[in-house]
Amino acid sequence: MATPPNAPVPDSQLVGRMTAGEDAALGDLYDRYGKMVYALALAIVREPADAEEVVVDAFGQAWRSAASFDATRGSVGAWLATIARSRALDTIRARGRRARAHERAALLSDEGLAAPITAAGSDPARGVERSEARRLVSQALAALPGPQRAAIELAYFEGLSQSEIAERLAEPLGTVKTRIRTGMEKLRGLLGPLLEGAA
Amino acid sequence: MTAHEWQEQAAPYALGILSPEERRAFEAHLAGCDACRADVRSYTEVAAALAHAAPAAEPPGALRDRVLAEARRVRPIGRRVPPRPPLPWLAAAAALLLAAAGAIATWRLTGRVHELERSLAVSDSVLGEDSAALALLTGPDVNVVSLAGTNRAPSARIVWNRALNRFVVFAFDLPAAPAGRTYQLWAIAKGHAPLSMGTFNTDAQGRARVVLPVDREIAALGFIDNCGLTEEPSGGSPQPTETPRLLGAWTRSD
Repeated sequence: MATPPNAPVPDSQLVGRMTAGEDAALGDLYDRYGKMVYALALAIVREPADAEEVVVDAFGQAWRSAASFDATRGSVGAWLATIARSRALDTIRARGRRARAHERAALLSDEGLAAPITAAGSDPARGVERSEARRLVSQALAALPGPQRAAIELAYFEGLSQSEIAERLAEPLGTVKTRIRTGMEKLRGLLGPLLEGAA
Repeated sequence: MTAHEWQEQAAPYALGILSPEERRAFEAHLAGCDACRADVRSYTEVAAALAHAAPAAEPPGALRDRVLAEARRVRPIGRRVPPRPPLPWLAAAAALLLAAAGAIATWRLTGRVHELERSLAVSDSVLGEDSAALALLTGPDVNVVSLAGTNRAPSARIVWNRALNRFVVFAFDLPAAPAGRTYQLWAIAKGHAPLSMGTFNTDAQGRARVVLPVDREIAALGFIDNCGLTEEPSGGSPQPTETPRLLGAWTRSD
């Protein structure tokens, strides 16, 4: 989660200004991460109206708890993504697991979410501007074996526990644990350049 | 566990997918292990980077204004300004709480005990197994709140199992919310805007027994002063849109 180029102030300074109650700093933070947070929320909750609620909630939580941001524990982008993911998962959990399982049966394929991403990226007519971060992350995910990618995506985008993933994929728990761990190790290696810029 | 086995927990921990028991054990280990803390930090960044794998989507232009409007309504925690007067509905809630206090005292110790016992007995079907139910409802780290209206009925009782990070909600004589509406519970802590604890609805008998995961932000508060129940549009609201129909003060178990 690198700071965008030409950014006049580091992310952490924006958060510091938020702690002092400066709402313009929150506006700047939104300009940097609003799109990422919205896309993440939409990928999890699927409904644009719910995704907007998640974005408002997530930035609201970031605003209220700016003082608790600890730069030694991670980047501002990671902090925001973690908050937004948690709020989005709360939303789908509130909707009920049964409905969710039904809605998302399509995700069961080995292709997982990477397929639509690759498609979006290869279609310039969509006019979607893909940042360096997006390119690196989708490349890294595409480099994983399908089963590893599918397990990690179920964990991240659906918030399923390891045993729930095992159940969903009809695989032994140990296999799922290994896939997630191995896949995350590979991602850490592949995403090294991106993550170093985050600190 | 060997050091190697502990390190295997760092990635699933960062993804938030360990079981509550595994998470607690790992967090206890983390306190004294620099290597695992470093791993957690790097895997947290990896997990957060996965946000970029979400299909690109353009947020509506008006969303920025909504985010800022919300921020102007609520001040950041720790900001050094004189406290604002409580929200109007909080004042109303406080009045309702005072009015309800007498009623609570009288019936709390009588019929509700039996009612709760009955709820516990049937909670098996909701919670799965006896052991799971007992683990949720008992233990040294469990707080309880009773919510009451101004009349005897309806009422609700909520158990906050901190160790398992779950709210167990029992509602009695609460007519089911109409179509398109839901009941929503609010954690009300001094100096904070109300935080949603989750939504639920009651059955045709006006009863509900549900288990809700505790939001990270609520868990971070440490202690909640009060708990309120409102009726909201389906899916819940970011903030309560009416004066709580039921309200109660949490009791500390410690």
